[in-house]
Amino acid sequence: MRSLRYFVNNTDRILGYAGEHAVLILMAVVMAVLVWVSVGILIRNNRRMARGVLGIASLIMSVPSVALYGILVTIPGLGLSRQSAVLALVLYAMLPIIRNVYVALNGVDAAIMENARGMGMSARRILFRVQLPLATPVILAGVRVSVVMMVGIATLAVFIGERNLGVLIQQGLVRTRSDMIIVGAVLVSAFAIGIDYLFSKLEHLLVSPGIRGEAA
Amino acid sequence: MIRFKNVTKRYPGMVRSAVDGLSLEVNQGETCVFVGPSGCGKTTTLKMVNRIFEPTSGEILVNGENILSQDQDTLRQGIGYVIQKTGLFPHYTVFENVATVPRLLGWDHQRINSRVHELLRLVGLDPDENAHKYPRELSGGQSQRVGVARALAADPPVMLMDEPFGAVDPITRTQLQNEFLTLQQKVRKTICFVTHDIDEAIKMGNRIAIMNNGRLVQYDTPEKLLLAPADDFVAEFIGSDRSLKVLSLLPVPKVLKRQFRVVKETAELETVRASFDATERNRLVIEDENSNVVGYVTRGDAGKASSARGWNRFIKPFPTTLPPEATLRDALAVMLQHDVGAIPVMEHTRKFLGMVYLDDIRSYVGEAYQESEPEPAGEGAPS
Ligand SMILES: Nc1ncnc2c1ncn2[C@@H]1O[C@H](COP(=O)(O)OP(=O)(O)O)[C@@H](O)[C@H]1O
Ligand SMILES: [Mg+2]
Repeated sequence: MRSLRYFVNNTDRILGYAGEHAVLILMAVVMAVLVWVSVGILIRNNRRMARGVLGIASLIMSVPSVALYGILVTIPGLGLSRQSAVLALVLYAMLPIIRNVYVALNGVDAAIMENARGMGMSARRILFRVQLPLATPVILAGVRVSVVMMVGIATLAVFIGERNLGVLIQQGLVRTRSDMIIVGAVLVSAFAIGIDYLFSKLEHLLVSPGIRGEAA
Repeated sequence: MIRFKNVTKRYPGMVRSAVDGLSLEVNQGETCVFVGPSGCGKTTTLKMVNRIFEPTSGEILVNGENILSQDQDTLRQGIGYVIQKTGLFPHYTVFENVATVPRLLGWDHQRINSRVHELLRLVGLDPDENAHKYPRELSGGQSQRVGVARALAADPPVMLMDEPFGAVDPITRTQLQNEFLTLQQKVRKTICFVTHDIDEAIKMGNRIAIMNNGRLVQYDTPEKLLLAPADDFVAEFIGSDRSLKVLSLLPVPKVLKRQFRVVKETAELETVRASFDATERNRLVIEDENSNVVGYVTRGDAGKASSARGWNRFIKPFPTTLPPEATLRDALAVMLQHDVGAIPVMEHTRKFLGMVYLDDIRSYVGEAYQESEPEPAGEGAPS
């Protein structure tokens, strides 16, 4: 009840936080997909390189988020800026996206690949007409995982100056205000659920009906 | 049309060559079946033709041109490729799958559309019903049909087929084989066909290349192969029932006795007696006004008849007949089933062509073996 009252009394401010949250994540997702899908495509045929890149990605993933924000702000040119916040989220998305792109592109049935080659499709055409369409469900799954992760990690970006839903949680903790914490937590969860919904729509849009509902 | 010149393929890190000094030629419009035990190098041979693998040494010519001197993708677009796991694109509809190569070749929409419909009908699939399905909605047999249609799409002169009917149930396989034989009658492709099943090889091939350990052991027509296996390996691979198998390759006209007295059912008894006097045989074939066979009369029965026309009631129908395209195997099977030693062969119009005799089958096959085997192995029929 107290939480609801808190929400009603501060609607504008809270919606502002949510908006900031969304903008930050949107920027990070767009960048992460552009960069990491490309990297995944580039390393698809090079196992050594793939192992190296995925190793680095795992390493980054293992750095606690507060520490990562801390490291980024010390880099000249980044500092306490939105760039730092976006960059941190993009880095966390590295492992789930690259790994899924790599695994999915290489996981295309050997018979299908052989037929594509045997019919005289160029490597480029095979990539865009066969491998990527078949890999899309798995790639989307990787992006989905990273976005859901971003929603949570973004709350910690308040330590480097972001004013998003994390503010409610951080302030709530500092001032032992459970109503603020609950409002923050509920909204962050709602965000994640919304994103899940969005992705199921996206899957319908991007994945051929011939393979829909097969991959994880 | 397709020529292998001393082709050897050794995979990196392998001691033994997967294909070892293969030389042979596949004639235009013919099906060459590569057959042999698993791992003998059939698939490797096939995949060198469309450059999935490149030979370690030797060369392959398609239409007189070395395949290595052609653009790889252009070469492949001119070679239909069908493999056991159809490799249909699951994210494409049947239509899009069949349209793959025409699209690569940049055909316009109209032409692709009519070609895909034509092909689906050719392989026995209703286009309206199937064109918009996805591969996962198809049965195994339907998938193979789409695979064949896809390979034929741009009307390539050459087809490579690697155990194309290996993954379907036996009934569907027989059906697909028969359909493909009919199809090949129409399209006359030059085909390299791989199988490990000797019966399929005998059925599908104009020539059969038997391989063992990467080497070509024998390259011959199915008939020659069955009658004169080059060595023990081939003989064993073909199986001990090869004399039965050869029967299925020989059409009944090979042993047909044609000099038969045929008498009209309206003839006088005198004519019948005269005909018996003029022949050694103990039966006369009787036909009606329109030269359709109605049955036969035996010498003994003709002797019993007294009145000029009364012999008619001794006419007996043949218990069974054969069409001229039947094989000796069919003839033998029918003889055993009806417990008879002779069967008339007639056109579908019931016009009489001749008789097949069990003894003739035995002696024909026996002689065939004796001709092709230097020292008789005791298999020939005693005469
Ligand atoms: N890609 C490959 N790499 C290494 N060895 C291979 C490869 N493909 C086939 N081989 C080997 O080459 C030999 C011939 O194989 P294959 O041509 O597939 O035989 P088949 O089709 O007659 O069963 C086998 O010993 C097999 O293990
Ligand atoms: Mg094989």
